[in-house]
Amino acid sequence: MEQHSTTAVYHHEEHGHAGGGTKEVIRITVYLTVITLVELAIGFYMYKAALPEGFFRHFLKGLICALMLWKAFYIVAYFMHLKHEIRNLIMTIVVPLFLFVWFIIAFLADGNSYKNLRNKYDPYHIEQNDKKAPVEHEHGAQKEGTIE
Amino acid sequence: MAQAVPAVQKWWNGGKSPFNVEYGKIMMWYFLMSDAFTFGAFLISYGTIRFATNSWPDPNHVFNSFPGLGAGYPLLFVSLMTFILIISSVTMVLAVQAGQDMDRKRVAKYLVFTILGGLAFLSCQAWEWTHLYHEGAWWGHNPFPNHNGSVATTNFSNFFFTITGFHGFHVFSGVIINIIMLIMTLQGKFDQRGHYLMIEKAGLYWHFVDLVWVFVFTCFYLI
Amino acid sequence: MSNEAILHGSEVSTHEAHHDGHGEHHHHETFISKYVFSMDHKMIAKQFLITGIIWAILGGLMSVLFRLQLGFPDATFPWLENILGHWAKGGKIQPEFYYALVTMHGTVLVFFVLTAGLSGTFANFLIPLQIGARDMASPFMNMLSYWFFFLSSVVMVSSLFIQTGPASGGWTSYPPLSALGDASLGSKTGMDLWLISMALFVVSSLLGGLNYISTILNMRTKGMSMTRLPLTIWALFFTAVLGVLSFPVLLSGFILLLFDRHAGTSFYLSDIFLASTQKALPNEGGSAILYQHLFWFLGHPEVYIILLPAMGMVSEVMSTNARKPIFGYMAMVGSIFAITILAFLVWAHHMFVTGLNPFLGSFFVLLTLLIAVPSAIKVFNWLTTLWRGNIRFTPAMLFAIGFVSLFISGGLTGIWLGNSSLDIHLHDTYFVIAHFHIVMGVASFFGMFCGVYHWFPKMYGRYLNNTMGYIHFWITIVGAYLIFWPMHYEGLAGMPRRYLDYSGWASFNQFGGLNHFISIVSMIVFAVQLLFVFNFFYSIFKGRRVKSENPWGSNTLEWTTPIHPGHGNWVGEIPEVHRWAYDYGKDGREFISQTEPISANESEHH
Repeated sequence: MEQHSTTAVYHHEEHGHAGGGTKEVIRITVYLTVITLVELAIGFYMYKAALPEGFFRHFLKGLICALMLWKAFYIVAYFMHLKHEIRNLIMTIVVPLFLFVWFIIAFLADGNSYKNLRNKYDPYHIEQNDKKAPVEHEHGAQKEGTIE
Repeated sequence: MAQAVPAVQKWWNGGKSPFNVEYGKIMMWYFLMSDAFTFGAFLISYGTIRFATNSWPDPNHVFNSFPGLGAGYPLLFVSLMTFILIISSVTMVLAVQAGQDMDRKRVAKYLVFTILGGLAFLSCQAWEWTHLYHEGAWWGHNPFPNHNGSVATTNFSNFFFTITGFHGFHVFSGVIINIIMLIMTLQGKFDQRGHYLMIEKAGLYWHFVDLVWVFVFTCFYLI
Repeated sequence: MSNEAILHGSEVSTHEAHHDGHGEHHHHETFISKYVFSMDHKMIAKQFLITGIIWAILGGLMSVLFRLQLGFPDATFPWLENILGHWAKGGKIQPEFYYALVTMHGTVLVFFVLTAGLSGTFANFLIPLQIGARDMASPFMNMLSYWFFFLSSVVMVSSLFIQTGPASGGWTSYPPLSALGDASLGSKTGMDLWLISMALFVVSSLLGGLNYISTILNMRTKGMSMTRLPLTIWALFFTAVLGVLSFPVLLSGFILLLFDRHAGTSFYLSDIFLASTQKALPNEGGSAILYQHLFWFLGHPEVYIILLPAMGMVSEVMSTNARKPIFGYMAMVGSIFAITILAFLVWAHHMFVTGLNPFLGSFFVLLTLLIAVPSAIKVFNWLTTLWRGNIRFTPAMLFAIGFVSLFISGGLTGIWLGNSSLDIHLHDTYFVIAHFHIVMGVASFFGMFCGVYHWFPKMYGRYLNNTMGYIHFWITIVGAYLIFWPMHYEGLAGMPRRYLDYSGWASFNQFGGLNHFISIVSMIVFAVQLLFVFNFFYSIFKGRRVKSENPWGSNTLEWTTPIHPGHGNWVGEIPEVHRWAYDYGKDGREFISQTEPISANESEHH
């Protein structure tokens, strides 16, 4: 039982100088809110302006992804307290995440290539893709464009 | 004995944790890593299929309803869901901090807020799923046309329901965990133990659920 | 002090008995708590090992059955019908059942024997003993890990007995075959049970892996720095990392597959006409290649999950029995690390001819060939460890040397297969079968045998019988080469794998005699494995007793425990570590235990 109390004391003390306390939490909450609002604004702009497919639209989507990662950083670093852990732990968490880089690139590149191959060699695929859906679909209308 | 950690500690020499944390927290962190790969695999699969498909429905035309207001409000409902989850994450941080101060009442209070936040999020999701179901969307059924007006494949709803469902399942288990934590707190279990480390671990899990939502939210509703 | 206290955190209560300085505590143990729901890592290891042995017998028997068909395509075996019923009508194995046999053989040996049976056994047994811990970080999760494995085994075994038979789409279970119940008998209930069983298996391996990682990081005894860890622990550590990061991806892939099977989704399905029902399916927009990506994102790391523990144990046993320090310790650690990283980057080399973008494929070729570098470093270090050693040819040592031999011969053909252009000719032939059976199947089995022979005295306090050990080794290594070497030639000639009968092709008639020969050898080798099983169980009860704590004259910590260590491993304090694990033949002394402090006039430590 003696051990237990030491643990508690230790953690208590540690908290005093390691974490940023309630102030930090409020600061991060504000950041997260602002970033989310910016994301929503961009999303809404893409919708309202009815941007055509093209560089600018892709750029905005990329921007949203960057903001997403920024938010993820705040959550992991402050809410999950990782920033205040010691370096060893931070490294073992962060470094393996780099595996996602090749994971994402390879998967998406191959998905894209699959599309190109089908568009090139499968005429039926193109024909199928150009089939127009009934123009206005009402609420509760039964499953247009679905299978079965 | 609770000394400040000296600047040059030999962390790796054995007989101590090289991370200065107890094993349960390490396990939780690595479990979350592995869960990140589960979600990562889902989202990357979704991306792969989107890259492999010529065109895709516009989420703004699909998710544009708000309870009581009707259709025509893109992004509104999902913003609400996002803020609910962020706020519940904040209350969880406060619960963890209260735990570090050994303040049982405050821990209990913030845990209740967190649980309420989780339940609110789940209710929102339930409403959204029901709404979509009534519009004819489900696993294997997709009533929404592509943004260019052509017939869409069913994969839009397939991935939406699978991934938000999997996330919802995590929220649900997080709520259950938090309820257990609340009961244990009220029983004074952690005061007996002398530490609130369990709350910290539950907190990590809860923040992870929030973190995943950041990605799900972006991938399904924004881009 | 503070750091030590938080080591055990919330579960201190279960460890309390361990911290009072008397590891050998005698709380009341019933039969159930000691042998069944045991939380002692040593007992859990034995549970994994024995379950693994049972699975290995089953999986091996399956291979004997299909070798019977391949070696004697014209003969009938009426006794087969007696045991297998309509699966072997008229004494001939039916095509559906042949596929089921191949599928289950692969699944059982890859996952149940060489993953759970190998790293489950030795991670559990060796990690606490070699790093100087009382038990795993969480003994309870450790127990759960075994019982999830058990549950998964039960589900898999039960799939053998259902009417439509077990899964038969190959151990990779590619859709659309595995996604459509109408496509084949094995894609009906058998496939569902297979997926459920595998999902349970993922849970088991996750629980185990998290435990291994946090135990190795957090619970090392005083002085046991990471660079003093025996190579076994390094290998098991990276094995666990591989499992924790790659199995979840497989789980995601399986969940999507389950939805495709039962919820009408089209994640993997597109443009399908089903011959059996004469119907075009409405599924549109999926990609079967996506499943292959997800599968092999686990599938390739899985190869190293199987191989790394064997490498670690071989390094340890080889150094001990050559009475020489391991050559290039840091290079060994570095190469294991490099292999771990590369394991995550090369998965698509299994998919060169499945419709993968060839340009993307070329990146995978490059990354794949990079694996040759750390592999070669390891081989070099093993050979230089043996060089001028004072070698004791115990059965464990023989298996360790055999491992290196197999790793070289099987690894070299990997360089052929890693080239996408050569793969166009070689994919799906017997060349592939020969390659991965030698480098991952037999080699890992050798690592496993090496471990069992070496640590059996620690497990049961008795030795395995040496004579039977030598017979086991020589027949197995000669047999393994006789079985798999000729398959390279068959593969180069273009003989495809997964075929029931080759008599329809004039070009493969020349291999009739060879197939016949391979089948006979495989039966002999299987029989010798049964001899090992006999040796194992016989020696548990009747083997020669171990008289000293340290029968092999080894440096590592497990040999400082009593001959029959209790739950808690050490009586009294856990020993402190003062040196690395490989001080053999130093300063004229045969071995210096890790627990011995470095003396003043000792030659320099390397």
